[in-house]
This record gives sequence, C-alpha cells and structure tokens, in this order.
Amino acid sequence: MSQRKKTSASQSKPQRTNENEDEMTFSQMTSSQVQRARENFASVQIDRKVAEVVQFILVKDQKKIPVRRADIVKHVMKEYKVIYLEVMNRVRRTFEQVFGLKLEEIDTKNHIYILINKLEAGGTVSMCPGNPGKTGLLFVILSIIFMKGGVAKENLVWNTLKKLRVDPREKHDEFCDVKKLVTDEFVRQKYLEYVRIPHTEPVEFEFRWGLRADIELSKLKLLEFVAELHDQDPQSWTQQFREASASESRT
Amino acid sequence: MIFQTSYSANIDHDMRWFYVHLLLSVKQAREAALDAQLLVLATDLGKEKASQLHAEGSAFDPSAFAEHLLSFMGLNRLEEEDDDQDGHLNGYLPQDAWQKLAKRSEVCFKMAPSFHYMLGSFLAEPPPPRQRVERQRKAPSKEAKRIMPTQLKKMEESQQEATEKEVERILACLQKYFADDPEEPISYYEFVIDPSSFSRTVENIFHTSFLIRDGLAKIYLDKEGLPCIGPVEEGEIETGGAADRNQCVISISQASWKEIIEAFDIKEALIPAPKTLSQES
Repeated sequence: MSQRKKTSASQSKPQRTNENEDEMTFSQMTSSQVQRARENFASVQIDRKVAEVVQFILVKDQKKIPVRRADIVKHVMKEYKVIYLEVMNRVRRTFEQVFGLKLEEIDTKNHIYILINKLEAGGTVSMCPGNPGKTGLLFVILSIIFMKGGVAKENLVWNTLKKLRVDPREKHDEFCDVKKLVTDEFVRQKYLEYVRIPHTEPVEFEFRWGLRADIELSKLKLLEFVAELHDQDPQSWTQQFREASASESRT
Repeated sequence: MIFQTSYSANIDHDMRWFYVHLLLSVKQAREAALDAQLLVLATDLGKEKASQLHAEGSAFDPSAFAEHLLSFMGLNRLEEEDDDQDGHLNGYLPQDAWQKLAKRSEVCFKMAPSFHYMLGSFLAEPPPPRQRVERQRKAPSKEAKRIMPTQLKKMEESQQEATEKEVERILACLQKYFADDPEEPISYYEFVIDPSSFSRTVENIFHTSFLIRDGLAKIYLDKEGLPCIGPVEEGEIETGGAADRNQCVISISQASWKEIIEAFDIKEALIPAPKTLSQES
C-alpha cells in the first residue's frame, strides 16, 4: 500500500489535473449539453460502447480488484466520456438483467466499482471456482474483526490463525505466502483494511473490514454461521446481532 | 493532573493504581512524558475492560472460535494431550479442510462469479494435420513431375511442329494430285482455296509459301497467265543454287476470295481440312 502511494505521489501533478478534468466533465455539464452530446453518437455505437464497458468490467472483476472510473474512461469510453452517465446506467441495467450482477460504487469519492451477485448463493454451484480456500480464510478474519466490534489488532488475528495451522512466518500448503495474501491481496481487493495504529512503538497494525466486504457480505449470515459453530443462538451476541440486523435492513 | 473515568465503581485494580499515581503533582518534564505514556496505556486498557463490561451479550473468544472452526473443518485429533506452552499443535487437518469451510462460508458472500470462457480457450492443433498433408503432398508432386516433362514436350511439339506438319501434309496432297495426273497443271487458286472457310484458305496460302520457300514446290504462270503450283522434282532445282527465285507477296481478302470461288467455280477444297487438334494430340 505504501509503495503505491509513493508512485502516485511522483506522478501526482499530471494525474491530478486529469482527475480534475474528469470531475468537471461529469459534474458541470448541464443536461442540455449532455443531450446535444448524445446526439453525436448513433444508437448502435452507444450499444457497442455499453457492451465494451460490460466486458471490460467482467474481465477486471476476475481478480476481484475494484475497477476505477478513470480506467473505464481512459481505456474504453474515450470520446464517449461526455455521455458517461447514460452509458453507465445502461451498463448497470445490463449487469442486472443479463448477468444477475450488481455494479456497486463502493467509493463515491474516488469512484471505484465492484461487481456483486444479485442472486442468493444457491449452495450447489460454487460461485468462486478460482481458489475457494481463500474464501474460508477471508471469512475467519472478517468474523474475528466483526465479533470484536469492527476492529481487530494484527496480533490477535495472527494468533488465532496460528491455531488453525496458518502461520504468516511459514509457507502454507494452500495459501502459500499468507502474510502477502492477507495484507496485500485482500487489501487491494478491498476486503480488508490494514491500518497502522498511530503512536505505537514498535509499529502495530490493525485490521478492519474493507469497502468491498461492507457491501458483499451479509453480516447476519456471518453471525449465523459463527453462532452455529459455537452452538449458540446468534442473538446471544446482542451488540453484534443489532449491528448485523441494521446492516441487513440497509442493503 | 487529574484523571477521571466515566465508568462506575467497579474499577479494576490496575486502574486504581493509575488513578492514584496521577493525582500526585508532577514536577519534571520527564515525569510528564511518562504520565502521557501511562495515559495512553490506561485508556487502551480502559477501553478493553469497558467493552467487556458494557457488552450485554456473550464475550467473543477468538481461541474458542478457532477450536470450533477446527472441529468443523474435520480436525483429526491425536490421542496425546496438546502441550500449550511450546505451541505444539495437536492433530492434523484433512486435505479438504479449507474447501469445506469455504463452501459453507460462501453463503455469507454475495460474490459475483468470475468471468471465464465456458469452453476454454481456442487451441489450434496444426502439427498432426500438417504432417499428413506433407506426406500426401510429396507423393503427388513426384508423379506430377514425371508427367510434366512429357506433357511439355507434347506442347512444344504441337506448337513448333504444327506448321511443319501442316506443310508436309499439304505437300503430300500436292504430290498426290500431281501423281494422279502429271500433265494437268494444278491451278494455284484451286489448290489453296477452301470455299467453305476463308481462314482455312489463308492458312493454306501460308503453308504453301513454306513449300515454295523450301524449294519443294513451285509456282509458275501458265499460258493464260494464271498461277499454277506443282511439286519440284528431285534434281530439278539445286537447293540454294542460283535458281530462278522470285519473291512475291500474295494477299487475299474475303471479297476477292469470293470472287475467285465464283470465277473458278471452286466447289470443294483440294486440301482437305486437317483433323481437329484434340485428335492430333
């Protein structure tokens, strides 16, 4: 994460002006300007653009790394930037109606999108054929964080994982470099946040839920499974249950 | 420095110790720094304790959670007691432990399935067909080569020697007619003209000119001044000798051709039309 910040800082000036231009395009065009702009493109051309954006997002989603609006505009939209909103609305509709997926903007400030499933997980067909084991590991970490009130110290997570025979210092049969998987991949995918705790010496980190996890996971279902494992009623954890119910009603 | 807490009387022993310490007056900066550090520690500890105090429900114990997970994943426990102190773990997890957990926990996620081509990527397989094709190609090419020379020869023959053949044929005709009636001169026009085909007439004229050139036939004018043609007998003219050789250009047009046919009342060609090319080759 810190490495990323360094590179963006060195290129900050040109990138920032591009971002600013984008903002101006999107926020300051009046509806009549957009209308006129739309007339420049044939309906068939717009259809094609929509299809291209859909495919772009589907491919980007393979790695589960969120898609940035800037990337969509730069690589796919190009001159169709002026009708971005209309294209994206149609993209959203296509995802919902054709694929049963939801395109969610998880970061409205930086404009980052992810794809989540609109349909309930059936249970018979696995939705993540890639490396299903990772889902289990992710679930454990997210559960610890949630049950601990939304924040968990790094050490707590590692110690718990060690009990499950997952040691960040060693190579794991299934997950290989566990530390990298947890602190880098899961963070980039926005499942986790790995934040430095201020005023700690030596430096300590804590884990929180990432923006993707907030939208993609059902806290209630998570609590239900945790309760199942403990052979307890989910409501016995009152605070967590309250939080989970509230979150469920929001989605 | 006064340190106040917001929670009630059930303060832990540790907290009371901090409380007392901080009430004392501070005289040096170094002690102030130490106090600040203690304050941070105190609030952390306080937060921990407070959360446990205020929780209306069960506490969450990560260790217990881990144990339950291990059971779920199908841990095979060994007979001996585990030794907690050196961290040696008891039992071993089966191969599909994490898969099992993933399958159950997937339900909590609304994960979009990853995009991938259903039938895999397109794999072209050129090598086996290529070999077969090469082998097949080799056989016909050899045969083709064998055939080619003979065909070419024939081709060349027909092109170069067609004229010669034709000339020979015409000579044979001429000789035959002359042999039939040596005294009767053969009218040149009657000989070359083909009343049914103007082009054949032109060809006949063309071919007979070779005969004349080679000294195999001669054209002379008869008493009436009409050209006649006849074969040259052996010994009559020395080849390349200072013979009476004249040159003339014969031209004929369709109009004159028709006139001659009428004038001479030519009914049929003296030189029969050659067999068709297909028959020849």
